[in-house]
Amino acid sequence: MLIFIELEKQSGDVEDNRMKKAKTLVLGVGNEILSDDGIGPKLVSRLKGDLPHSEVCYENICLGGLEIIEFIRGYQNVIIIDAIKTASGKPGDVYLLSPDHFKETHHLSSFHDVSFLTGLKMSEKLGFEVPGVILIIAVEIVEDTLFSESFSPEIQTKYEQIYSEVYSFLEPALYGDQSVDQFQNLITRV
Amino acid sequence: MKRITIDPITRLEGHGKIEIFLKDDGDVENVYFQVPELRGFEKFCEGRPVEELSQIVTKICGVCPGCHHMASGKAADAVYGVEPPPTAKKIRELFYMAHFVHSHIAHFYALAAPDFVVGPTAPAAERNILGVIGKVGVEIGTEVIKQRRIAQEIQALLGGHQTHVVLNIPGGVRKGLTEEQRADIEEKAKGFVEFGKFSIKLFEDVVLGNKDYVDIIVNGPYNLTLHSMGLVDENNKVNFYDGKVRVVDTQGKEHCKYAPEEYMEYVAERVEPWSYLKFPYLKKIGWKGFVDGQDSGVYHATPLSRLNAADGMATPLAQIEYEKMYETLGGKPVHATLAMHWARLIELLYSAERALELVTDPDITGKELRTPVNKPDEGVGIVEAQRGTLTHHYWTDEKGIVKKVNIIVGTTNNNAPICMSLKKAAQGLIKKGVEVSDGILNMVEMAFRAYDPCFSCATHSLPGEMPLIVNIRDAEGNIIQSVKRDNCNC
Repeated sequence: MLIFIELEKQSGDVEDNRMKKAKTLVLGVGNEILSDDGIGPKLVSRLKGDLPHSEVCYENICLGGLEIIEFIRGYQNVIIIDAIKTASGKPGDVYLLSPDHFKETHHLSSFHDVSFLTGLKMSEKLGFEVPGVILIIAVEIVEDTLFSESFSPEIQTKYEQIYSEVYSFLEPALYGDQSVDQFQNLITRV
Repeated sequence: MKRITIDPITRLEGHGKIEIFLKDDGDVENVYFQVPELRGFEKFCEGRPVEELSQIVTKICGVCPGCHHMASGKAADAVYGVEPPPTAKKIRELFYMAHFVHSHIAHFYALAAPDFVVGPTAPAAERNILGVIGKVGVEIGTEVIKQRRIAQEIQALLGGHQTHVVLNIPGGVRKGLTEEQRADIEEKAKGFVEFGKFSIKLFEDVVLGNKDYVDIIVNGPYNLTLHSMGLVDENNKVNFYDGKVRVVDTQGKEHCKYAPEEYMEYVAERVEPWSYLKFPYLKKIGWKGFVDGQDSGVYHATPLSRLNAADGMATPLAQIEYEKMYETLGGKPVHATLAMHWARLIELLYSAERALELVTDPDITGKELRTPVNKPDEGVGIVEAQRGTLTHHYWTDEKGIVKKVNIIVGTTNNNAPICMSLKKAAQGLIKKGVEVSDGILNMVEMAFRAYDPCFSCATHSLPGEMPLIVNIRDAEGNIIQSVKRDNCNC
C-alpha cells in the first residue's frame, strides 16, 4: 500500500531497546495492592534477593496482552509467575504450565487487549524474536477483589510453602547452564 | 508442583457475563450485563498523603494508568489550590497524547478491526488480530506494533515509567524535557500523524467502502438516542486534558457545561440490585430507567459523545475528518453506536497532531516546572480517559492527608448505555426460529465492544482482563445456550 510505504519512510526503524544481556527473565505478574493477586510480584521480589544471577533478570509488571509480549522479547527463557483461580484447585496449589497446555492465568488473558497466546502467535507471524522456552508458574489464590497490601489468610498461611516450592523449581533451573534444552529437560521431570 | 492442563472455569464465571432472557415466543425479553465488584479502592487511599495518590491510582488498572495519573494529578493541584506553569501543563498533555495514541491503536487494530476487516460473522478462530494481519498484511501489523511501542516509549520517557507513572506532583511535574529529547519526540509525533491518517484511510477503504458494513453502522440494531458528554476547551473544541465538561442533549443542544468541582450538581449515580456497577445519569433530568430519548437521564461518554458534545476538533486534519464523519452520517449529533470506532480514529489523529503541536511549542523545554502549593483542602480533577470522562475527587486534612476519595471512571459513565445497547442488539438479532450462531452472538457483543469498555477500574477490577460468558435463557430461566469467550478477540 502506498500510504504505508510513505509511513515507513517517515517513522523509520525503532531501535529495539529491549535487547537483553540476561538469558532468562523471571517475571512476576499481578497487582501488589490487590490481595492475593500480587503473589507473583511478591514471590519474584524475594527470589531476586535469594537467587541472584548475572544472567537472570527479575522483573514485576501489572500488565497483560501485548505489553507482556513486548516485555519478553529478546530473552532466551522466560518464567512467568502469576495468580490463577481454577474450578477445583486448593489455595496455595502451584502449577507449572506451558503455553501449549494452559488457557489462561489472571494476567495472561485480556479483554481489552490480545491474549498472551494470541500475542505469541502474532509475534511469530510478524517475525519477532520469541523466547525458546516460556513457562508459567501459577499459584491458586483466594482473594482478588479486595484492595489490600496483605494476602488472604489462606495464602498467608501457605506463603512459605508456596515460596519453597517455587524456589525448589527455580534454583536448579537458574543455576544450570540456562539453555533451552536444560529448561525443557527440567519440565519433563516435573 | 503439578503439571496439568488448566481450565479456570470460575475465573470465567466470575467475570463479564451477558444474560439474554427470551420470551415464550423466542424473542428477547431482557438483557443484563454483569461484572464483578472490586472493593475498597477509595478506602485504600484514605490516610495517605494526597501527593502519593497519583502513583497509587496507576495501580488500579494497567489499561489506562496514565488517565488515572492525570486525573489524580489535577485533583491534587485542586486540593492545593494551584495551577501548574505552562511548561508543566504542556509536558503533562504531551504525555497524555502519547497515552491516547497507544490506547486507540490497540483498540482499533486488536479489538474493533477483527469485526470489520475479517468480518462480524467470520469464524471465531479467524476473527482476531491474527486474522486482521492475514487480511491487511504483515507490514501493517508490524507498523501497528511499532507505533504503539513508540507511544509507550514516549510515555516512559516523560512519565518515568510507561505504566506506573511518576510525572505529576501537585502544581507541576517532576522533570522537564531536554532539546535532544524534544527533537526525538517531534520525529516520532510526525510518524503518529502519518499513522493516524493511514488508519482513517484504512477505515474508509475497508468499512465505509463496504455497503454492508455501512448499513450495519447506520441501520443496524445499534443506535441509541442518548445525551453526549465530553471535555471541551474554551472554544468548545475537544480536549482530553483540560477544560469544562459539556453535555449536549439528543438533538445537539447544550444541556450543561460545568467546571470539574461542580460535577456533583450535574451527575448522580443509581444503584441496581442486579449489578455491582453504578449507573450515572444527568441529575437535572433524573433517572427515568433504561430508556433512550430526549427525556431520559442516560448519557454516554465515549469518543463519539466527545465529538457530539464539542463544536469541532482543535487540530486541522482531525477537523477535516470530523466534518466528513458528520456529513456522511447525516449531521450532528450522531447516535450510531458503531460510529464510535470512526470517532476513535479521528481522536487518534487529533492526539497525534496535538502531540506534534505540543512538542514544537517553545514552552515545552521551559525550566519552570512547578508552582508552589497552598494549604490543602478539597479538589476535583477531570480528564477524558479513552473510555469516557474520568473524575477524581479528594478531601484532605490540613496536612494533605486524604480523608475521603470518590472516583467516577470512564466506563462507569457508559454502564447504562452498554446495557441498553446490548439489549437493543440482542432484540434486533435474536429472533424466534433463527439459530443463535456464534456470528450473531459476536454481533451482540459488538454493541458493547464499541464502547471500548474496561471494567477493570469500573469495578476496580483486575488489570485489563475480563473473560466473557453469554448465557441465553428461556422464559423459565433455564440456560439453553452458553458461550464462553476467554477473550473477546479469541
